[in-house]
Amino acid sequence: MVNVALLSLLAAQAVGPAAGPAAPAPGTPPAAQDAVKEAQPQPFPAGGYNVGSPGGIPIGKLMLMPEIAVVVDGALGYTTLSTEQQERVAGPLPQHKAWPVLQEVELAFQATVDPYIRGDVFLTFTPEGVEVEEAFLTTLSLPWGLAVKAGQIYSPFGRTSQLHRHQWTFADQPLSMQRLVGAEGLSGAGGDVSWLAPLPWFAELHVAYQATRPGFAEDVMQLTGVTRLIQYFELSDSATLGVGLSWALFQAEAPVQWKNLAGADLYVKFRDPSSRSSVVLQGEIYGRQLGDQAFSEARWGGYGQAVWRLDRNWEVGARYDNAPAPVAYEGGTQETWTALGTYYASEFFRLRLQPSLVLLPGGQSGFQGLLSFEFTIGAHAAHPF
Amino acid sequence: MIHIASSLSVAVLLAAIASPARAAVNVVTTTEGLAAVVREVGGDRVKVTALSRGIQDPHFVDANPSLAVKLRNADLLVDVGMDLEIGWLPPLVIQSRNSAILPGGARRLTAAAAVPPMDLPTGPVDRSQGDIHPSGNPHFLVDPRRVQLVAAAIAARLAEIDPGGAAAYTDRLRAFRAKVAAAEKGWKAQLAPFAGRSVITQHKTLTYLLDWAGMTAAGYLEPRPGVAPPPSHVASLAATVRSAGVKGVLVENYYDRRSADQLRDLTGVKVIVIPGDVGGTKDASDWVSFVDVLVRALVQAVQ
Repeated sequence: MVNVALLSLLAAQAVGPAAGPAAPAPGTPPAAQDAVKEAQPQPFPAGGYNVGSPGGIPIGKLMLMPEIAVVVDGALGYTTLSTEQQERVAGPLPQHKAWPVLQEVELAFQATVDPYIRGDVFLTFTPEGVEVEEAFLTTLSLPWGLAVKAGQIYSPFGRTSQLHRHQWTFADQPLSMQRLVGAEGLSGAGGDVSWLAPLPWFAELHVAYQATRPGFAEDVMQLTGVTRLIQYFELSDSATLGVGLSWALFQAEAPVQWKNLAGADLYVKFRDPSSRSSVVLQGEIYGRQLGDQAFSEARWGGYGQAVWRLDRNWEVGARYDNAPAPVAYEGGTQETWTALGTYYASEFFRLRLQPSLVLLPGGQSGFQGLLSFEFTIGAHAAHPF
Repeated sequence: MIHIASSLSVAVLLAAIASPARAAVNVVTTTEGLAAVVREVGGDRVKVTALSRGIQDPHFVDANPSLAVKLRNADLLVDVGMDLEIGWLPPLVIQSRNSAILPGGARRLTAAAAVPPMDLPTGPVDRSQGDIHPSGNPHFLVDPRRVQLVAAAIAARLAEIDPGGAAAYTDRLRAFRAKVAAAEKGWKAQLAPFAGRSVITQHKTLTYLLDWAGMTAAGYLEPRPGVAPPPSHVASLAATVRSAGVKGVLVENYYDRRSADQLRDLTGVKVIVIPGDVGGTKDASDWVSFVDVLVRALVQAVQ
């Protein structure tokens, strides 16, 4: 996008208001794929651009630059929960303080590498440090509907655990995902082979082999196999249903290690095609069986959420979350009721207000509130579905 | 019975040999307007699918994975370009695993490459100017001059993909051009008395059509592209309406009518709802009838 923009700016200097079109006669070779009109000279404004000794247009070099974007997330957070009650949560807040925090700066570089692969690199800067969130190649031209992703990747597990922060609807991830899958989802170095089935509807099968750090034992990397089947069905012109099944298998070692992690997710979107408004219903269930547990002792949890985008500027949502309570509560469950209000000033800047009511075992409860902003500069990212 | 059956089988066999089954070229376009032009040029040699509908704002189509399935087997993908589909098309193309339809690929045609653009920004470009299109205004398919260039590019690319149909595509292109030229005569006659007049539109969707018609946009309901009209802007537009003698506001049917109605309440201008593309209303069933609806709306807007 940067390349075409700059080329066109250059062309505009001399072409001026719409020049007479050079109508190609039928049967002549088609117009060039890129914006450079081969038959026309490349004009430069007098006293303007430095042509440069290597010749050609200097803008040409910029055409090979990657798409670059920076996303910044900041928030003012307040919680009545203690540190123990916020166990295994990404970005825990100090108790009883209106605490400002720069949650994340994400730097994205994306480009086609060559005719065979594209490259995507995402770096994140958080209060905990700098991290490679993802850095991977994706094949462009494998046969039989196959594609391979390799590098540091999010595991193809579940729905919300694969999303980057700027793709989240809510200002945080569901607690059930954080406690059962991982505080920051499931990711690691490895590869993901996916297959788009030759069916009339979208059906994609993923098989991944990675070394990950699942939730409870974050300092130990484990060999992980993940598989996921995701399908989308068009219920009507304005309604789409997505159904996913995921399973991760971890190489069990001492002491507390996961063995099996299963997930099922459901997604329904109602979108009036002639307006910007939509309703999205989404839910996931997770089941985790640790290495030294019988199947009947597996922990379960999940969430359900409803989000209503009213128009281009306003969105409201609600989420119910059922997750294992912190270890101190010895096997109980924690319920969280969350409400969301989002103002989209534009596609590149949004403000969110998100209060939560937390219900812990033994009748304890807590309150959490987040007021957050997020902005993007640089390349225009795709709108999330 | 056997006699009839064997005659039938011979007939079927002869029919099969005489006209060997020819697979239609599977063309996928991003908008219905492009699909309409492909149908004009391709005829029954092509099977056309549009990823979005004429009732949708083409900037904000959902990147629904179901659309990637349609792209998987596309023999040709035609998109508008100039960043119109940047919010939704790129991930679908990658997801489809059809490498030939990647940008610059042999089976990808970006219509914007065939037309001279308008509204190219001069000077620095940044998003304080709203959600601008730095490569130019992508709403060029409403222009009778430019649609012929797009049709020619499509015909040429179809001839490359399906060489057996080259003569057919050339003939159909000629026929489409003649149809557009004939329609243009009628439209110009309708619009001639109103040269130099101005209207107000929501977004810069009619720039090319107004330029062709010899008319102008006195102002836009959006203060900047993609920015919702605040009441103060509507009030200042009311002043423009009076000073420029604007009589009509044209709003596509996928926009919220509130601001247009506010302007009508302030100044008495007519609010005319128009289709955004072919298929946007029932009477905009192909390209010529779509522009016919727009021309009639323009005439109504200046009377």
